[in-house]
Parts: sequence; structure tokens; C-alpha cells
Amino acid sequence: MQNNDVLRMRGIAKRYGSLTALHGVDFTLARGEVMALLGENGAGKSTLVKILAGLERADGGSIEIDGQHVRLRSPVQALHAGVAYVTQELSIIAPLSVAENICLGGGEPHAIWTARALRARVQPYLDLVGLGGIDPAMPAGSLPLAQQQLVEIARLLSRNARILILDEPTAALSDAEIEMVKSVVRKLAAEGRSIIYVTHRLGEVFEIADRVTIFRNGRSFDPVPVRNLDIDELIEHLLGRRLEQMFPERATSLGPPVLALREVTAPGLRRPVSLDLHRGEILGLAGQLGSGANAILRAVAGVAPYDGGTIAMRGRTINPRSVREAIKLSIAYCSDDRKRDGIFAVRNLYETFTSPALPRITVGGLLSRRREVQLSSELASFFEVALSRLDTHAGKLSGGNQQKVALGKWLGIEPAILLVEEPTRGVDVGARAEIYRHLRKLASQGLCVMFASSDNQEVLGLADSIATFFRGRLVRVVRAEGIQPEELLRDVTHPDESQPGMAA
Amino acid sequence: MNSLRIVADRLQAGSSGEIDPNVAARRRRAAQIMLTVGAILLIALGGATTPSFLTFDNAMVVIRQASVTGIVALGMSYVTISGNLFALSAEELAILTACIFGWLMRAKFGLALSLLATLIFAGLGGAVQGAVIGLGADPIITTLAFGGFFRGLASVVSGNQNILLGTNAAEWLGTARPLGVPTQSWAFLFLTPLAWFVLQKTRVGRVLLLTGANREAARATGLRVDQAGLIGVTLLGICCGMAGISAAAQFGQAVANLFQGLNFDVVAAILVGGIALRGGQGSPIQAALGAAFIALLENFMLLNDLSSGWRMTVVGALVTLATCVFHLLQRRR
Repeated sequence: MQNNDVLRMRGIAKRYGSLTALHGVDFTLARGEVMALLGENGAGKSTLVKILAGLERADGGSIEIDGQHVRLRSPVQALHAGVAYVTQELSIIAPLSVAENICLGGGEPHAIWTARALRARVQPYLDLVGLGGIDPAMPAGSLPLAQQQLVEIARLLSRNARILILDEPTAALSDAEIEMVKSVVRKLAAEGRSIIYVTHRLGEVFEIADRVTIFRNGRSFDPVPVRNLDIDELIEHLLGRRLEQMFPERATSLGPPVLALREVTAPGLRRPVSLDLHRGEILGLAGQLGSGANAILRAVAGVAPYDGGTIAMRGRTINPRSVREAIKLSIAYCSDDRKRDGIFAVRNLYETFTSPALPRITVGGLLSRRREVQLSSELASFFEVALSRLDTHAGKLSGGNQQKVALGKWLGIEPAILLVEEPTRGVDVGARAEIYRHLRKLASQGLCVMFASSDNQEVLGLADSIATFFRGRLVRVVRAEGIQPEELLRDVTHPDESQPGMAA
Repeated sequence: MNSLRIVADRLQAGSSGEIDPNVAARRRRAAQIMLTVGAILLIALGGATTPSFLTFDNAMVVIRQASVTGIVALGMSYVTISGNLFALSAEELAILTACIFGWLMRAKFGLALSLLATLIFAGLGGAVQGAVIGLGADPIITTLAFGGFFRGLASVVSGNQNILLGTNAAEWLGTARPLGVPTQSWAFLFLTPLAWFVLQKTRVGRVLLLTGANREAARATGLRVDQAGLIGVTLLGICCGMAGISAAAQFGQAVANLFQGLNFDVVAAILVGGIALRGGQGSPIQAALGAAFIALLENFMLLNDLSSGWRMTVVGALVTLATCVFHLLQRRR
């Protein structure tokens, strides 16, 4: 294997502020192999891949391609060195033709192209990705998503990419489309190109990968040939030790149901979902991107209203068509992107904390400074945000503090139900534990919390009940004590593979 | 051409990524320092080189001129701070309201009724634009289109001729100097703190500020995002109405070619005042200072016999400079 290595990365280190993403990681890739990268969120795999693609700069370590030391400081340099990165967000330009998309940015010597010349030039690459049958002159935007992905791969191949990074290429695709992508991957590997395949779906690893490198807490393990592994071993490798002390005690008893979903269909769900949320309960919706876990929250929050079935709150059917309507029903919702819609980066914390509860600090149309200070101090103390920081801009805070503000502001409306997407995304370990503790405290005071997370540890540690989701459908609902980490991982990655006792 | 420049600024503002929270304070400080230093230099230079510059009458001319621009700039600051950049129809709406006021006065509706009707019309003129912007239309393009509409309508109302008010009833509004200060300046002096107060101390103002700071977050916290835009442009409309009434009253007639360059002066006041184009930051007081500074500069140049071409060149260069300085401040982290 040694002299067949096309890529060698040694001692790659990367820190983001106080957070170490990679502690001196080694990684090798052989010619013509498909290497799967596995790891939980935040394990460091996407950081490594971004460094290789020239999107991030490593703080230390060396990268060799074909035995040559290379510097990858921009995507252009990476492509020059033969590394191409296919992200989940495609860079296809919809109104341009397939052929134009493939040639885009290729730096061709000829100033003028005819459609025929373009067609002739791109045909070999289209054949290579299994799109030989489509008309290169059709607009790329009219193709289904999977084919657009293949067009993007064809573009990178036309730039002579020898190392292809596919980042969760199948996350948003249907089964038939996934087959198409997989067969192209196999074909490219057979041609002698090397593929790095980032995925959360364990099943795929066994189907197409030759070897697998596992990441955990910013470290990588030596690559293991897939034929020597079985799925249970893989899961064990993936999870490693637990961080039990991170999570507060669970609820001892639950109150009556507050929210009842019956056969609900909504954008992002493929099958109707029925769920119950009780007073004082923390319900964790576990699932990867596109699993439908977020879709449930958005339906209840009025962001993406539901279109079938019923949602009842304390026995009364509700149908919020907007966030405003949901707020009036005492339903608060925190999205997974706090910078986009959770905080006001250029306003101070007083203003962010009181923003959902302006009526509470208003007297006759005028803002009462006294009430504003009082309310925001109350909320800040509950979430342990230093009162001395109330007059700093929300954008200046660390990720953890921003998240506390994004969550804490909702207490101002005294919600009955709190919906949270990815409660600790981009939050360091210390602040995570605090946020878990605060959410538990709120639940014990009678609030219902429903959160969606792609972080299995978080779901296992925080939730009283767990609903697992896989590609738009609810797999099952269980008590948190009643599920093993391995089972949870299986549910959200490949629930269909021969596991008894699983209601679909 | 001015509009093109603004569109370019807008594109630039949109493309430069994250907002550094330090910028607001730094920007405000920079603007205040620049304006203060500039004003002192101008007064010193003016006093030394232009004999009539520091006289009382001259000061009154400057202040009256600054006041009208300043009132409209106060309204415009609401539009900018609520996250809708600029309304490029301010000049046209002011012309139209002047003509309507003139027409109403000539038709003997009486001063009170004419004033009320004109201001209501001006508010509606703003509200309609705000409603369209609230639907998600681009504020620059929308108001540019409405500007053409208003200007055309002004020609229709006036028949392209001077509308003589035919009565002195309104003259006091336009030319009087109670306690030695022009009426427009009283209005400006009164409206500046009022504008500040409404923005900082009322619930409506808070919704406006938060919407401008982060429209998505404002929507996600249940604030009436569409109303914020509507209120901003409506208030600007009323300010334009006041400017229109003031001009018609001052000259005893209305005509469709009043207020030349008002749009640019007001936008210049916002930019020189250092209000962030992204919205959610800044204060109407900055717009007021910016307007006063530009009027001072214009007046200084006028008294030194600079041609209108030169005056425009200098003000244009100043705005460009201000924009560049703020942009550089923004990039430095």
C-alpha cells in the first residue's frame, strides 16, 4: 500500500479560538480507493476535508500529493493539485446549459465556442459520470438534484481531479438517485481516481468503501479495511467513551400531554407522524440532515405549516400559519441558525432579550427602561449570562453565550412549549453542559421542550423520550432509558437493515 | 447618476459579509469627529476669507436651507435605519406636495384644511411605497419608479405652470422668523429630538430598529416586519410634505421644478452623518448633523462664487470620501 498512496496528510492541526478541531491528525489515501470518513458531528472530519480542499488553512502539519509537498491555500490551488470538493450545496448555475456548466471557469484558450464544440468537449466527462444519455444543451437547472450533482462531478473531472471529496452526497437524494451516485463512485475508483466519501450512513460504507477512517474528538484512527469490519464493530469505534456527567438528571415523572400530533404531514416529511409531548418533558427528535426531525418543529412553530392530520394543544386543535401566530399560542421556536434569526448582532443584549416580549416592557406605547432592565436581567440571570455584559452587542459574544441569549429571550413570553433545533451547534463543551442544565430546569418548572438534533449523544443524554427519524419518516418513539446508543445510531442511519422489534 | 451610485453602494454593502458589532460605535465616533472638525475648519476658513460668511443674516440663510433638507433627512434616516436603504422619491414627493398645497390654497380651501389634506396626502404617498417595499420589492427600484410617477403627477397638477397661492395666509409659514429663527428651523429643531425620541424610546421605534438590524431575527421573534418598513417610508412622506408646504409658502407659489438635488442632498446627509446602510444602527441626529454640515459647505461655496458645477463636484467628492472612510472602518476588524 505504501508507495501506492496518492495523498498523505501528517500531523494536521487546527484550532478555532479555544476549540481544538484537529489534534495533529494523520490521513492517507491510496490510488483508486474509496475511503469513507466517519465520525459524529464535531469530530473533525469536515475540518480535515476543508483543509484538503483549500477552504481552511491548517495551523500545522504537512500535505503530500503523489509524494510532492503541496500548499493548499485556496480551492483553486487545491484543484490545481488535483483535489476536488463536492459539497452539499452545489455550485451549479441553473440557467446555463449542462455543457456550459462543465466548462465554466475552465480557462479555455479559445475565446469563442460553438454549441457543437462544447458538446464534443464535455461528452467524455458526461459518459464518465453516467450521464452520456442527456442532452448537454439543456439547462442544468432542469435536471433532478442527483444529476446536477453528477454534472458537478463531471466538471471537476474535466479539470483533471484525481482526488474527489464527496461530502454527504446522498443526504438529500432518493433511493434510485443514491444508486446512481454510488455506481459513479465505483466507476471512478475503478479508473484509478481516489474518492473520500464523507457520510453519516453506515450502510453506504459497507456498500462502496474500501477502507474507513474514523474520527473522534478531533483525532483520527488508522484506516480499517471495510471487509474486516461488521456494523456493530463500526458503531463501537464511532462512539467511544461517553460523557455522562455532561447531562442533568432526567425527569422523574411527566405531566399530562400538552401537545398531540396525529398523522401530521408537513413539508419535509414523507410519512404522517404521530407524537405526544407532555408537561415537563424533554422530547428529543434524533435524525440526520433531511430526516424530518426539523420538519416537525417547523410545522408546530408555524414556519412551515402542516398540511394534513391534526396538531392539538391541550386538546384544542391549532394551526399556526406563521411564527407570530405560534407565539400567540405560547409556542417559542429557536432555529438552528442563531446568527441568521436568533440574535440581533448589532444591538445590545437588553434589546435582544426583550425583543419577543415588547408588550411586557411597554407602557402606553413608550418603552420603560426600568422594565427592560428588569426583564433582561431576569432572563440573563436564569441563563447565567453576566449582567455586566447586557450592554454589549449580541454579535460580540461567544457562540455559547449567543445561544443562551437566543434561547433565553423566549422566556420573556412565558412559553408553554419551547422548540429548539440543534440546541448546542457551534457551542463549546462547557457552555453545552450549562445549556442542558437550563433546559432541564425549565422543563422541571413545567415547560415542554422538544428539540431536534443530529448529535446522538445530546439526544441520549438530554431527552426523556426519543423519537428517531430517518429520511422523512418517524422510525419509533422510545423512553430514553429504553434505547442503547447503538440502536439509536442504527435508527438514524440505516433503520431498515434487519433489526427486529422496530415499528416503521 | 446619483441613483446609479447608490445602487452600486447597495451592492457593495450587501456583499461584504458579516457585521462587526464594533463598527457602529466606531462609525458614529468617526462621523462626529469628521463633522465637528469639518465644521470648525469651514467656519474658520469662511470667517477668514469671506466677509459676509459669519454675519447674522447669512447664518439665517444657511439655517433655513439646512432645515428643509434636514427635515427630509430625518425622515430618510428612518428609512435607512429600518433596513430599506433610501427612498429616492423624496424630491419628487416634495414637489408634488408643494403643487397640491398650492392648488388647494388657490382653490380657497383655507389654510388649515389645505395643510391637513396635503400632509395626509404626503403620508399616503409614503405609505403606498412602504407597502410595496413591504411586499419584498427592492426599495431603491420601487422608490425610483414612484419618483417618476410623482414628478409626472406634479406636472399634471400644475399644468407645468406656476401655481400662485393667491393669498398671504401661508406666507408666515414660509418666511417668518419668530424670535429671529426661521419657522423651518423651529420645525427642524423640534423634530430632531422628537425623531430621536420616537426611535429610541417607543415600541414602534424599537421594532423599526430591530427590523433594520436583522430582518430575519425580527420576523422570527414575531415582530411586524412589514409594518416597520411602512412606518419608516410613511414618516418620510410626511417630512417631504412639510418640505413641500414650506417651499410653496415661502415663495407664494408652487412649480414643478422646485427642490433640485434634494434627493442627493438628503442621501449625502445620511452618508456624511455616518448612518450604516445595513440598517439597525445610527440615529436621526446623525442625519441632522450631516444635513447641517452639507448646508454649511454649500453656503460657503456659494458665497465664494463657486459655480453650481463646482459645488456639486465638491459635495459629490465629500460623499464619496465619507463612504470610502466608513467602508474602510468596516473592513478593519
